[in-house]
Amino acid sequence: MDLALVQVLNALSFSALLLLTGLGLSVVLSLMNFVNLAHGSFYLLGSHVAVVWIGAGLPPWLAFPAGFVAAAAAGALLERFPFRGFYGRPHLMQVLLTYGVSLILADLMRWGFGAAIRAPGLPEALSGVVFVLDLPFPVYRLFLIAAGAVLGGGLWFVLDRTVWGALVRAAVADRGVVETLGIDTRRVLAAVLVLSAGLGGLSGALGAGMLAAYPGLDEEVLILALVTVVAGGLGTFRGTVAGALAVGFALTFSKVWFPEFANAAAFAAMAALLLLRPGGIVAPPLRQV
Amino acid sequence: MMREEGRARRFAPMLVLAAVTAGAPLLAGEFHLRFLAEILLLGTAVMSLDLLIGFGGMVSLGHAAVFGAAAYAAAVAAIASGGSLPLVLGAGIAAGTAVAAAMGAAVARTSSLYLLVLTLLLGQVVWEVVFHWRDVTGGADGLRGLPPLALGPWRLDGARALLLLAGGTAIAGLAIARSFTDAPAGRALAGMREQPLRMSALGYAIPAIRMRAMLVAGAVAGAAGSLYPFVNLYVGPGSAHWTLSAAMIVMLVIGGSGSLWGAWLGCAVYLGIQTYVSAWTDRWQLVVGAVFVLTVLLLPSGLAGGIRALLRRRA
Repeated sequence: MDLALVQVLNALSFSALLLLTGLGLSVVLSLMNFVNLAHGSFYLLGSHVAVVWIGAGLPPWLAFPAGFVAAAAAGALLERFPFRGFYGRPHLMQVLLTYGVSLILADLMRWGFGAAIRAPGLPEALSGVVFVLDLPFPVYRLFLIAAGAVLGGGLWFVLDRTVWGALVRAAVADRGVVETLGIDTRRVLAAVLVLSAGLGGLSGALGAGMLAAYPGLDEEVLILALVTVVAGGLGTFRGTVAGALAVGFALTFSKVWFPEFANAAAFAAMAALLLLRPGGIVAPPLRQV
Repeated sequence: MMREEGRARRFAPMLVLAAVTAGAPLLAGEFHLRFLAEILLLGTAVMSLDLLIGFGGMVSLGHAAVFGAAAYAAAVAAIASGGSLPLVLGAGIAAGTAVAAAMGAAVARTSSLYLLVLTLLLGQVVWEVVFHWRDVTGGADGLRGLPPLALGPWRLDGARALLLLAGGTAIAGLAIARSFTDAPAGRALAGMREQPLRMSALGYAIPAIRMRAMLVAGAVAGAAGSLYPFVNLYVGPGSAHWTLSAAMIVMLVIGGSGSLWGAWLGCAVYLGIQTYVSAWTDRWQLVVGAVFVLTVLLLPSGLAGGIRALLRRRA
């Protein structure tokens, strides 16, 4: 029983990470209909920046904002060229473009940060263990759960309850009408992409304490984030939360039950889920023309 | 007159493939013959992907799993009971068709983004199994020590024999794909890509049409995959990874999707860049990424589109 609780906490901390990464991908995917396979690169960039930041002896708490800023800056540059021209293009072209960009970024990062597995030296307050029902549990994972809940909640508030969120949702629902109101939707979409890249970087900085940073992590995270977003249901905040929980729990518990074939079992489970509910767990209302 | 011209154009790619297969052994050495065989085999798989993407509008990120599963099935069968050609081909075609059937069952009713993610997921399931099932697949090390291919009393283990087999597979694959796209099922597939709503209003069952396309593509990719391990006498998990699926899509786009024969052009360009650039610099992945980006920016309709435009101008 106690062991099960620890596994649930493990799953929750992984879900928190998936939620933050997935939210970044989800806003771009559902709001802009843009398949960004470079999202994993933003995550890995955030991880590397956090590792370097803490390694350089700078204040460790600022490593997370640093990851956000670095990835957001990269996102802003890439948005200018070449992403901007591809928002209306077919998925095939977007996939090739962003996958190519992710290969370039992956190689640049291997060049700049090296090919070794690098973990950050966590600050004192986050590096110990606490005892949950007499079993040791890393404090950092509890911190991840809290960070995921707080940041996820904050993002939900911005997108769902503020005029900025309303503007973004309106620009997606009917771009033409928003433009007739005198709003430059190109800048709105650019801001969404920068925010998404920043979220990827922030979750990378947070995740570095759990998954470290190494070449190839970008692709692993990308696949998990894609599954999270699509399995949860496109275009809804609740969907991404549900998807993150589903993927987090499926992966954690398949590691307990089938250690050898953990990913295969979890992926098969998510594929089965998608077959049973083709629109995802929280299916958005269907609009057919 | 029109018909004659059409027929000439249809058979030209097959004649070119046959000429390359027959002529190369006179000019090239062992290394280049094997490289050419690799282009022909991988190009055949890319050509089968063209059925899905170019004709069906189904962007699959799992085609490498079909190809890789066939390669592993053929390699395992060959190691277990000798490299008899019908056995190897049969194992590969069966495995490729089976994986494609599973994928087809999953994606027959979905489209665009969901199709992309489902094929990616199912493909990665295959990769995970290949990567972790060490007793059978050798895990990360892959499989080595393949017996030579043989057909009855003949041993087919030289580079020339391999090239002949690869060329034969390519020509047969192209003939099958052509006859499929010309058949009512293939026409319906293209119609479904353009006007899904009208096609179902006309009484076509869209899932059944897509399933047929997946099966044909799976069988052709499976035949190509079954010979692939014999190019380098090695098969590794990379042959089933989704990054190869993405590379196949880029080969298709470089060559020109919707043309079928463009697949081999794109494959030759891509593998050529990969082979020669990786010999010249460690940063070859950067170059590969740049090839993806430049292809989309500069060549969205591919080399085949450019060649067609040239031919039309001259005609």
